Amino acid sequence: MLLASVVAAQVLLLAYQVKRDHDVRLIRYWSAEASMPAARSGSWFFSHLGGLWTGYVDLHNARKENADLRAQVGQLELRNSQLATQAAEAQHLQILLNFHNAHPEAQMLAAQVIGASADTASETIYINRGEDDKVKRNMGVITPDGVVGKIVEVLPNTAEVMLMTDKDMGVGAMFSDSRTHGVVKGTGDPVPMMDYIVNDEKIQPGETIITSGEDRIFPKGLLVGAVGTAKEGNPFQKIQVQPAARLDRLEDVIVLVTQQELAPGKQGDGFRVSPAPPPPTPAPAATDAANSGSTPAANSSNAKPATQGAPVK
Amino acid sequence: MLNTGFQSEQNIEVHKFYTGSVVLVGFFALILQAFLHKYGGVADLVDLPLLVVIYFSVSRRNPVTGLLFGAAVGIFQDGLSHDNPIGLYGIANTLVGYFASTVGARLDTEHPVARFVLTFLFFHFHQVIIAFIERALLNEPTPFFGLRLLVDSLVTAAVGVVLFALLDKLRRSN
Repeated sequence: MLLASVVAAQVLLLAYQVKRDHDVRLIRYWSAEASMPAARSGSWFFSHLGGLWTGYVDLHNARKENADLRAQVGQLELRNSQLATQAAEAQHLQILLNFHNAHPEAQMLAAQVIGASADTASETIYINRGEDDKVKRNMGVITPDGVVGKIVEVLPNTAEVMLMTDKDMGVGAMFSDSRTHGVVKGTGDPVPMMDYIVNDEKIQPGETIITSGEDRIFPKGLLVGAVGTAKEGNPFQKIQVQPAARLDRLEDVIVLVTQQELAPGKQGDGFRVSPAPPPPTPAPAATDAANSGSTPAANSSNAKPATQGAPVK
Repeated sequence: MLNTGFQSEQNIEVHKFYTGSVVLVGFFALILQAFLHKYGGVADLVDLPLLVVIYFSVSRRNPVTGLLFGAAVGIFQDGLSHDNPIGLYGIANTLVGYFASTVGARLDTEHPVARFVLTFLFFHFHQVIIAFIERALLNEPTPFFGLRLLVDSLVTAAVGVVLFALLDKLRRSN
Protein backbone atom coordinates (compact mmCIF):
# COMPACT_ATOMS: atom_id res chain seq x y z
CA MET A 1 0.00 0.00 0.00
CA LEU A 2 2.76 2.33 0.90
CA LEU A 3 4.68 1.32 -2.17
CA ALA A 4 1.71 2.04 -4.34
CA SER A 5 1.17 5.38 -2.67
CA VAL A 6 4.78 6.44 -3.04
CA VAL A 7 4.91 5.33 -6.65
CA ALA A 8 1.59 6.97 -7.44
CA ALA A 9 2.70 10.20 -5.83
CA GLN A 10 5.82 10.23 -7.92
CA VAL A 11 3.89 9.39 -11.06
CA LEU A 12 1.67 12.37 -10.38
CA LEU A 13 4.75 14.43 -9.73
CA LEU A 14 6.15 13.30 -13.04
CA ALA A 15 2.92 14.02 -14.78
CA TYR A 16 2.88 17.50 -13.36
CA GLN A 17 6.26 18.23 -14.86
CA VAL A 18 6.12 16.45 -18.14
CA LYS A 19 4.66 18.35 -21.05
CA ARG A 20 3.22 16.66 -24.06
CA ASP A 21 2.34 18.11 -27.42
CA HIS A 22 1.16 21.71 -27.52
CA ASP A 23 3.01 22.37 -24.24
CA VAL A 24 0.31 20.74 -22.18
CA ARG A 25 1.33 19.23 -18.88
CA LEU A 26 0.83 15.50 -18.71
CA ILE A 27 -1.17 15.72 -15.52
CA ARG A 28 -3.53 18.16 -17.24
CA TYR A 29 -3.69 15.81 -20.20
CA TRP A 30 -4.47 12.90 -17.91
CA SER A 31 -6.99 14.91 -15.98
CA ALA A 32 -8.68 15.87 -19.19
CA GLU A 33 -8.57 12.35 -20.52
CA ALA A 34 -9.90 10.98 -17.24
CA SER A 35 -12.65 13.51 -16.96
CA MET A 36 -13.62 13.75 -20.61
CA PRO A 37 -15.46 10.42 -20.82
CA ALA A 38 -17.53 11.34 -17.80
CA ALA A 39 -17.99 14.84 -19.13
CA ARG A 40 -18.91 13.50 -22.55
CA SER A 41 -21.30 11.04 -21.02
CA GLY A 42 -22.85 13.74 -18.89
CA SER A 43 -23.01 16.09 -21.81
CA TRP A 44 -24.49 13.37 -23.99
CA PHE A 45 -27.00 12.45 -21.32
CA PHE A 46 -28.07 15.99 -20.57
CA SER A 47 -28.11 17.00 -24.22
CA HIS A 48 -30.29 14.02 -25.07
CA LEU A 49 -32.41 14.58 -21.99
CA GLY A 50 -32.67 18.23 -22.97
CA GLY A 51 -33.34 17.17 -26.54
CA LEU A 52 -36.09 14.88 -25.38
CA TRP A 53 -37.61 17.61 -23.29
CA THR A 54 -37.19 20.16 -26.06
CA GLY A 55 -38.63 17.66 -28.51
CA TYR A 56 -41.57 17.06 -26.24
CA VAL A 57 -42.18 20.77 -25.80
CA ASP A 58 -41.71 21.37 -29.52
CA LEU A 59 -44.02 18.50 -30.33
CA HIS A 60 -46.60 19.83 -27.94
CA ASN A 61 -46.27 23.29 -29.43
CA ALA A 62 -46.26 21.83 -32.91
CA ARG A 63 -49.51 20.02 -32.27
CA LYS A 64 -51.15 23.17 -31.00
CA GLU A 65 -49.65 25.16 -33.83
CA ASN A 66 -50.76 22.51 -36.28
CA ALA A 67 -54.30 22.66 -34.97
CA ASP A 68 -54.25 26.44 -35.15
CA LEU A 69 -52.85 26.35 -38.65
CA ARG A 70 -55.43 23.81 -39.74
CA ALA A 71 -58.18 26.01 -38.40
CA GLN A 72 -56.58 28.97 -40.10
CA VAL A 73 -56.29 27.03 -43.34
CA GLY A 74 -59.94 26.10 -43.08
CA GLN A 75 -60.90 29.71 -42.56
CA LEU A 76 -58.68 30.81 -45.39
CA GLU A 77 -60.07 28.16 -47.70
CA LEU A 78 -63.57 29.27 -46.84
CA ARG A 79 -62.58 32.87 -47.33
CA ASN A 80 -60.85 31.97 -50.56
CA SER A 81 -63.95 30.19 -51.76
CA GLN A 82 -66.05 33.19 -50.87
CA LEU A 83 -63.65 35.51 -52.64
CA ALA A 84 -63.55 33.25 -55.67
CA THR A 85 -67.33 33.22 -55.75
CA GLN A 86 -67.42 36.96 -55.38
CA ALA A 87 -64.77 37.35 -58.03
CA ALA A 88 -66.69 35.15 -60.44
CA GLU A 89 -69.88 37.04 -59.64
CA ALA A 90 -68.10 40.35 -60.07
CA GLN A 91 -66.67 39.17 -63.35
CA HIS A 92 -70.07 38.09 -64.50
CA LEU A 93 -71.59 41.37 -63.43
CA GLN A 94 -68.77 43.19 -65.15
CA ILE A 95 -69.66 41.38 -68.35
CA LEU A 96 -73.28 42.40 -67.92
CA LEU A 97 -72.25 45.97 -67.22
CA ASN A 98 -70.00 46.02 -70.23
CA PHE A 99 -72.83 44.60 -72.27
CA HIS A 100 -75.20 47.28 -71.08
CA ASN A 101 -72.65 50.04 -71.58
CA ALA A 102 -72.04 48.75 -75.08
CA HIS A 103 -75.73 48.96 -75.88
CA PRO A 104 -77.09 52.14 -74.37
CA GLU A 105 -79.77 52.22 -77.06
CA ALA A 106 -81.56 49.22 -75.56
CA GLN A 107 -83.49 49.38 -72.32
CA MET A 108 -82.52 46.35 -70.29
CA LEU A 109 -82.73 45.07 -66.79
CA ALA A 110 -80.24 42.90 -65.01
CA ALA A 111 -81.67 40.04 -63.04
CA GLN A 112 -80.47 37.11 -61.02
CA VAL A 113 -81.69 33.58 -61.44
CA ILE A 114 -83.23 32.56 -58.14
CA GLY A 115 -84.70 29.21 -59.00
CA ALA A 116 -85.85 26.71 -61.52
CA SER A 117 -89.03 24.86 -62.23
CA ALA A 118 -89.72 21.81 -60.18
CA ASP A 119 -91.25 20.19 -63.25
CA THR A 120 -88.55 18.26 -65.01
CA ALA A 121 -90.47 18.44 -68.26
CA SER A 122 -90.59 22.20 -68.04
CA GLU A 123 -87.49 24.18 -68.97
CA THR A 124 -88.14 27.31 -66.95
CA ILE A 125 -86.30 29.42 -64.43
CA TYR A 126 -87.24 32.18 -62.03
CA ILE A 127 -85.58 35.57 -61.80
CA ASN A 128 -85.64 38.18 -59.09
CA ARG A 129 -87.38 40.81 -61.19
CA GLY A 130 -91.12 41.14 -61.51
CA GLU A 131 -94.02 43.44 -62.03
CA ASP A 132 -92.56 46.01 -59.64
CA ASP A 133 -89.61 46.29 -62.00
CA LYS A 134 -91.92 46.78 -64.98
CA VAL A 135 -91.21 43.31 -66.23
CA LYS A 136 -93.95 42.05 -68.54
CA ARG A 137 -94.81 38.83 -70.31
CA ASN A 138 -93.04 38.01 -73.57
CA MET A 139 -90.03 40.13 -72.78
CA GLY A 140 -86.84 38.56 -74.04
CA VAL A 141 -84.21 37.26 -71.66
CA ILE A 142 -80.62 37.01 -72.78
CA THR A 143 -77.08 36.82 -71.50
CA PRO A 144 -74.04 38.37 -73.09
CA ASP A 145 -73.51 34.97 -74.68
CA GLY A 146 -76.86 34.75 -76.39
CA VAL A 147 -80.59 34.12 -76.18
CA VAL A 148 -81.95 32.50 -73.02
CA GLY A 149 -85.72 32.58 -73.29
CA LYS A 150 -88.74 34.76 -72.63
CA ILE A 151 -90.85 35.90 -69.71
CA VAL A 152 -93.95 33.74 -69.43
CA GLU A 153 -95.24 34.62 -65.99
CA VAL A 154 -94.85 37.79 -63.96
CA LEU A 155 -95.31 38.12 -60.24
CA PRO A 156 -94.74 41.23 -58.17
CA ASN A 157 -91.11 40.47 -57.41
CA THR A 158 -90.30 37.49 -59.56
CA ALA A 159 -90.84 36.32 -63.07
CA GLU A 160 -90.80 32.96 -64.75
CA VAL A 161 -88.61 32.57 -67.79
CA MET A 162 -89.21 29.86 -70.38
CA LEU A 163 -85.89 28.72 -71.76
CA MET A 164 -85.38 28.28 -75.46
CA THR A 165 -85.03 24.56 -74.87
CA ASP A 166 -88.59 24.25 -73.56
CA LYS A 167 -90.82 22.30 -75.93
CA ASP A 168 -93.29 25.18 -76.01
CA MET A 169 -90.67 27.76 -76.86
CA GLY A 170 -89.87 29.11 -80.31
CA VAL A 171 -87.45 31.80 -81.39
CA GLY A 172 -87.51 33.49 -84.77
CA ALA A 173 -84.06 32.86 -86.17
CA MET A 174 -82.01 32.89 -89.30
CA PHE A 175 -78.60 31.81 -90.49
CA SER A 176 -76.12 34.64 -90.27
CA ASP A 177 -74.50 33.80 -93.60
CA SER A 178 -77.35 32.71 -95.84
CA ARG A 179 -79.96 34.86 -94.06
CA THR A 180 -82.37 31.93 -94.42
CA HIS A 181 -85.15 32.28 -91.88
CA GLY A 182 -86.57 29.60 -89.66
CA VAL A 183 -87.69 28.93 -86.10
CA VAL A 184 -85.62 27.48 -83.28
CA LYS A 185 -87.93 25.24 -81.31
CA GLY A 186 -87.37 23.73 -77.96
CA THR A 187 -87.62 19.98 -77.63
CA GLY A 188 -87.49 19.55 -73.91
CA ASP A 189 -83.90 18.39 -74.33
CA PRO A 190 -80.78 20.51 -73.98
CA VAL A 191 -80.56 20.64 -77.78
CA PRO A 192 -83.29 22.62 -79.57
CA MET A 193 -84.07 22.18 -83.27
CA MET A 194 -84.25 24.68 -86.08
CA ASP A 195 -87.30 24.10 -88.20
CA TYR A 196 -88.71 25.23 -91.50
CA ILE A 197 -85.44 24.94 -93.40
CA VAL A 198 -86.00 23.20 -96.70
CA ASN A 199 -83.85 20.29 -97.73
CA ASP A 200 -82.34 22.19 -100.61
CA GLU A 201 -80.69 24.63 -98.26
CA LYS A 202 -77.01 23.86 -97.74
CA ILE A 203 -76.41 23.94 -94.03
CA GLN A 204 -72.94 23.47 -92.59
CA PRO A 205 -72.31 22.37 -89.01
CA GLY A 206 -71.09 25.27 -86.93
CA GLU A 207 -72.99 27.81 -88.93
CA THR A 208 -74.13 30.70 -86.77
CA ILE A 209 -77.79 31.23 -86.02
CA ILE A 210 -79.08 34.63 -84.95
CA THR A 211 -82.47 36.05 -84.11
CA SER A 212 -84.53 37.32 -86.98
CA GLY A 213 -86.77 39.66 -85.00
CA GLU A 214 -89.88 38.14 -86.47
CA ASP A 215 -91.15 36.81 -83.17
CA ARG A 216 -91.41 40.37 -81.79
CA ILE A 217 -89.71 39.20 -78.64
CA PHE A 218 -86.05 39.33 -79.47
CA PRO A 219 -84.52 42.07 -81.49
CA LYS A 220 -82.84 41.10 -84.69
CA GLY A 221 -79.22 39.97 -84.63
CA LEU A 222 -78.92 38.31 -81.23
CA LEU A 223 -76.85 35.18 -81.18
CA VAL A 224 -78.96 32.07 -80.73
CA GLY A 225 -76.42 29.38 -81.25
CA ALA A 226 -74.71 27.31 -83.87
CA VAL A 227 -75.66 24.39 -86.05
CA GLY A 228 -74.78 21.08 -84.48
CA THR A 229 -75.93 18.53 -86.99
CA ALA A 230 -78.12 18.92 -90.07
CA LYS A 231 -80.01 16.04 -91.71
CA GLU A 232 -82.57 15.85 -94.45
CA GLY A 233 -86.10 15.41 -93.20
CA ASN A 234 -89.67 15.49 -94.34
CA PRO A 235 -90.62 18.08 -95.23
CA PHE A 236 -87.81 20.13 -93.57
CA GLN A 237 -84.31 19.46 -92.48
CA LYS A 238 -83.65 18.30 -88.95
CA ILE A 239 -81.12 20.76 -87.63
CA GLN A 240 -79.83 20.50 -84.09
CA VAL A 241 -78.81 23.79 -82.50
CA GLN A 242 -76.15 24.26 -79.86
CA PRO A 243 -77.39 27.20 -77.76
CA ALA A 244 -74.87 30.01 -77.40
CA ALA A 245 -75.94 30.79 -73.85
CA ARG A 246 -75.02 28.26 -71.25
CA LEU A 247 -78.51 27.46 -70.15
CA ASP A 248 -77.43 24.97 -67.55
CA ARG A 249 -75.31 27.51 -65.70
CA LEU A 250 -77.38 30.61 -65.66
CA GLU A 251 -76.77 33.01 -62.81
CA ASP A 252 -77.29 36.53 -64.10
CA VAL A 253 -79.43 37.38 -67.08
CA ILE A 254 -80.65 40.45 -68.86
CA VAL A 255 -84.28 41.22 -69.44
CA LEU A 256 -84.86 43.16 -72.64
CA VAL A 257 -87.49 45.72 -71.71
CA THR A 258 -87.90 46.85 -75.31
CA GLN A 259 -87.36 45.17 -78.60
CA GLN A 260 -84.79 47.75 -79.55
CA GLU A 261 -82.26 46.15 -81.86
CA LEU A 262 -78.82 45.96 -80.36
CA ALA A 263 -75.72 47.31 -81.97
CA PRO A 264 -73.20 44.56 -82.51
CA GLY A 265 -69.61 44.20 -81.43
CA LYS A 266 -68.71 47.27 -79.40
CA GLN A 267 -65.56 47.39 -77.40
CA GLY A 268 -65.77 45.71 -74.06
CA ASP A 269 -68.75 43.72 -75.14
CA GLY A 270 -68.91 40.15 -74.15
CA PHE A 271 -71.93 39.74 -76.37
CA ARG A 272 -71.23 38.00 -79.61
CA VAL A 273 -73.54 38.96 -82.40
CA SER A 274 -73.40 38.24 -86.00
CA PRO A 275 -72.03 40.86 -88.28
CA ALA A 276 -74.64 43.44 -88.90
CA PRO A 277 -75.95 43.78 -92.41
CA PRO A 278 -74.23 46.43 -94.46
CA PRO A 279 -75.57 49.87 -93.63
CA PRO A 280 -77.78 51.53 -96.17
CA THR A 281 -76.33 54.32 -98.22
CA PRO A 282 -78.35 57.19 -96.76
CA ALA A 283 -76.93 59.30 -93.97
CA PRO A 284 -77.02 57.80 -90.50
CA ALA A 285 -79.60 60.23 -89.22
CA ALA A 286 -81.90 59.52 -92.13
CA THR A 287 -81.38 55.83 -91.76
CA ASP A 288 -82.13 55.99 -88.09
CA ALA A 289 -85.33 57.81 -88.73
CA ALA A 290 -86.41 55.61 -91.58
CA ASN A 291 -85.49 52.25 -90.19
CA SER A 292 -86.12 52.36 -86.51
CA GLY A 293 -85.55 48.92 -85.00
CA SER A 294 -82.92 47.94 -87.53
CA THR A 295 -80.30 50.56 -86.93
CA PRO A 296 -76.79 49.49 -87.92
CA ALA A 297 -74.18 49.45 -85.27
CA ALA A 298 -72.23 52.32 -86.70
CA ASN A 299 -75.20 54.61 -86.38
CA SER A 300 -76.64 53.49 -83.09
CA SER A 301 -74.00 55.20 -81.05
CA ASN A 302 -74.98 58.54 -82.51
CA ALA A 303 -78.69 58.04 -81.98
CA LYS A 304 -80.27 59.09 -78.76
CA PRO A 305 -80.49 55.86 -76.83
CA ALA A 306 -83.94 54.75 -75.84
CA THR A 307 -82.54 53.23 -72.69
CA GLN A 308 -80.84 56.34 -71.44
CA GLY A 309 -81.12 56.34 -67.70
CA ALA A 310 -82.39 52.78 -67.63
CA PRO A 311 -81.23 51.00 -64.52
CA VAL A 312 -79.06 47.97 -64.52
CA LYS A 313 -79.94 46.73 -61.14
CA MET B 1 14.57 10.21 8.08
CA LEU B 2 15.29 6.58 8.36
CA ASN B 3 15.16 4.66 11.57
CA THR B 4 18.60 3.18 11.44
CA GLY B 5 18.17 1.50 14.78
CA PHE B 6 15.43 -0.78 13.51
CA GLN B 7 16.11 -4.52 13.87
CA SER B 8 14.23 -7.24 12.09
CA GLU B 9 12.90 -10.25 13.94
CA GLN B 10 13.53 -12.55 11.02
CA ASN B 11 16.15 -15.23 11.05
CA ILE B 12 18.27 -13.56 8.46
CA GLU B 13 20.51 -11.05 10.04
CA VAL B 14 19.43 -7.43 9.84
CA HIS B 15 22.34 -5.04 9.78
CA LYS B 16 22.35 -1.78 11.61
CA PHE B 17 24.43 1.21 10.64
CA TYR B 18 25.79 4.13 12.49
CA THR B 19 23.34 6.91 12.91
CA GLY B 20 23.32 9.21 9.94
CA SER B 21 25.64 7.05 7.95
CA VAL B 22 22.87 5.92 5.60
CA VAL B 23 21.83 9.48 4.89
CA LEU B 24 25.36 10.67 4.46
CA VAL B 25 26.27 7.81 2.17
CA GLY B 26 23.20 8.40 0.08
CA PHE B 27 23.89 12.09 -0.10
CA PHE B 28 27.53 11.53 -0.92
CA ALA B 29 26.62 9.05 -3.66
CA LEU B 30 24.34 11.58 -5.24
CA ILE B 31 26.95 14.33 -5.14
CA LEU B 32 29.62 12.08 -6.46
CA GLN B 33 27.40 10.82 -9.24
CA ALA B 34 26.64 14.39 -10.26
CA PHE B 35 30.26 15.33 -10.02
CA LEU B 36 31.50 12.38 -12.02
CA HIS B 37 28.80 12.86 -14.58
CA LYS B 38 30.51 16.10 -15.64
CA TYR B 39 33.46 14.13 -16.84
CA GLY B 40 31.59 11.47 -18.66
CA GLY B 41 33.49 8.43 -19.90
CA VAL B 42 33.78 5.60 -17.45
CA ALA B 43 31.94 7.55 -14.77
CA ASP B 44 28.77 7.28 -16.79
CA LEU B 45 28.93 3.53 -16.64
CA VAL B 46 28.26 3.45 -12.92
CA ASP B 47 25.06 4.39 -11.14
CA LEU B 48 26.21 5.08 -7.60
CA PRO B 49 22.82 6.06 -6.11
CA LEU B 50 21.38 2.81 -7.42
CA LEU B 51 24.17 0.87 -5.80
CA VAL B 52 23.59 2.65 -2.49
CA VAL B 53 19.87 1.95 -2.63
CA ILE B 54 20.45 -1.70 -3.42
CA TYR B 55 22.99 -2.08 -0.67
CA PHE B 56 21.06 -0.45 2.14
CA SER B 57 17.76 -2.03 1.11
CA VAL B 58 19.24 -5.48 1.02
CA SER B 59 21.06 -4.90 4.25
CA ARG B 60 18.10 -3.42 6.08
CA ARG B 61 15.71 -6.05 4.69
CA ASN B 62 12.74 -3.86 5.45
CA PRO B 63 10.53 -3.07 2.44
CA VAL B 64 9.15 0.12 3.95
CA THR B 65 12.55 1.45 4.73
CA GLY B 66 13.81 0.29 1.39
CA LEU B 67 11.13 1.94 -0.68
CA LEU B 68 11.31 5.19 1.26
CA PHE B 69 15.07 5.30 1.01
CA GLY B 70 14.89 4.50 -2.67
CA ALA B 71 12.29 7.17 -3.18
CA ALA B 72 14.35 9.77 -1.39
CA VAL B 73 17.52 8.95 -3.27
CA GLY B 74 15.72 8.76 -6.60
CA ILE B 75 13.99 12.08 -6.15
CA PHE B 76 17.24 13.75 -5.19
CA GLN B 77 18.90 12.16 -8.17
CA ASP B 78 16.19 13.56 -10.40
CA GLY B 79 16.60 16.92 -8.75
CA LEU B 80 20.29 16.95 -9.46
CA SER B 81 19.88 15.98 -13.06
CA HIS B 82 19.06 18.64 -15.57
CA ASP B 83 16.90 16.73 -17.99
CA ASN B 84 15.01 14.25 -15.84
CA PRO B 85 11.61 15.19 -14.49
CA ILE B 86 11.26 14.72 -10.76
CA GLY B 87 10.03 11.20 -10.17
CA LEU B 88 11.66 9.34 -13.00
CA TYR B 89 14.49 7.90 -10.95
CA GLY B 90 12.36 8.27 -7.87
CA ILE B 91 9.89 5.67 -9.05
CA ALA B 92 12.61 3.37 -10.29
CA ASN B 93 14.62 3.55 -7.10
CA THR B 94 11.50 3.19 -4.99
CA LEU B 95 10.70 -0.08 -6.68
CA VAL B 96 14.31 -1.20 -6.54
CA GLY B 97 14.47 -0.39 -2.83
CA TYR B 98 11.28 -2.24 -2.15
CA PHE B 99 12.16 -5.37 -4.06
CA ALA B 100 15.76 -5.34 -2.91
CA SER B 101 14.52 -5.30 0.69
CA THR B 102 12.16 -8.12 -0.10
CA VAL B 103 14.88 -10.15 -1.75
CA GLY B 104 17.33 -9.35 1.04
CA ALA B 105 14.84 -10.66 3.57
CA ARG B 106 14.78 -14.03 1.86
CA LEU B 107 18.27 -14.55 0.48
CA ASP B 108 21.76 -14.27 1.80
CA THR B 109 23.28 -11.38 -0.05
CA GLU B 110 26.63 -11.26 1.73
CA HIS B 111 28.55 -13.25 -0.79
CA PRO B 112 30.34 -11.21 -3.49
CA VAL B 113 28.93 -13.34 -6.31
CA ALA B 114 25.44 -13.03 -4.95
CA ARG B 115 25.92 -9.28 -4.70
CA PHE B 116 27.25 -9.14 -8.25
CA VAL B 117 24.30 -11.06 -9.61
CA LEU B 118 21.84 -9.13 -7.48
CA THR B 119 23.27 -5.81 -8.59
CA PHE B 120 23.33 -6.91 -12.20
CA LEU B 121 19.70 -7.96 -12.07
CA PHE B 122 18.51 -4.88 -10.21
CA PHE B 123 20.40 -2.70 -12.64
CA HIS B 124 18.36 -4.10 -15.50
CA PHE B 125 15.19 -4.01 -13.45
CA HIS B 126 15.93 -0.38 -12.78
CA GLN B 127 16.57 0.21 -16.45
CA VAL B 128 13.35 -1.51 -17.49
CA ILE B 129 11.39 0.74 -15.16
CA ILE B 130 13.19 3.81 -16.48
CA ALA B 131 12.56 2.77 -20.07
CA PHE B 132 8.94 2.00 -19.35
CA ILE B 133 8.35 5.36 -17.70
CA GLU B 134 10.10 7.23 -20.45
CA ARG B 135 8.17 5.41 -23.11
CA ALA B 136 4.84 5.68 -21.36
CA LEU B 137 5.03 9.10 -19.83
CA LEU B 138 7.70 11.00 -21.66
CA ASN B 139 7.04 9.52 -25.05
CA GLU B 140 10.75 8.81 -25.56
CA PRO B 141 11.90 5.58 -27.24
CA THR B 142 14.29 4.50 -24.54
CA PRO B 143 15.58 0.93 -25.12
CA PHE B 144 14.87 -1.72 -22.53
CA PHE B 145 18.08 -3.50 -23.26
CA GLY B 146 21.22 -3.03 -25.29
CA LEU B 147 24.94 -3.66 -25.45
CA ARG B 148 25.72 -0.42 -23.73
CA LEU B 149 23.31 -1.30 -20.96
CA LEU B 150 24.91 -4.71 -20.66
CA VAL B 151 28.32 -3.15 -20.24
CA ASP B 152 26.93 -0.65 -17.79
CA SER B 153 25.29 -3.37 -15.78
CA LEU B 154 28.45 -5.41 -15.65
CA VAL B 155 30.57 -2.44 -14.65
CA THR B 156 28.02 -1.31 -12.08
CA ALA B 157 27.77 -4.83 -10.67
CA ALA B 158 31.54 -5.03 -10.42
CA VAL B 159 31.80 -1.63 -8.78
CA GLY B 160 28.94 -2.66 -6.55
CA VAL B 161 30.84 -5.66 -5.22
CA VAL B 162 33.69 -3.37 -4.21
CA LEU B 163 31.44 -0.62 -2.92
CA PHE B 164 29.33 -2.98 -0.87
CA ALA B 165 32.46 -4.29 0.79
CA LEU B 166 33.41 -0.77 1.72
CA LEU B 167 29.95 0.01 2.99
CA ASP B 168 30.07 -3.06 5.16
CA LYS B 169 32.54 -1.08 7.27
CA LEU B 170 29.68 1.21 8.29
CA ARG B 171 27.76 -1.58 9.95
CA ARG B 172 27.49 -1.59 13.63
CA SER B 173 28.46 -4.82 15.19
CA ASN B 174 25.84 -6.61 17.27
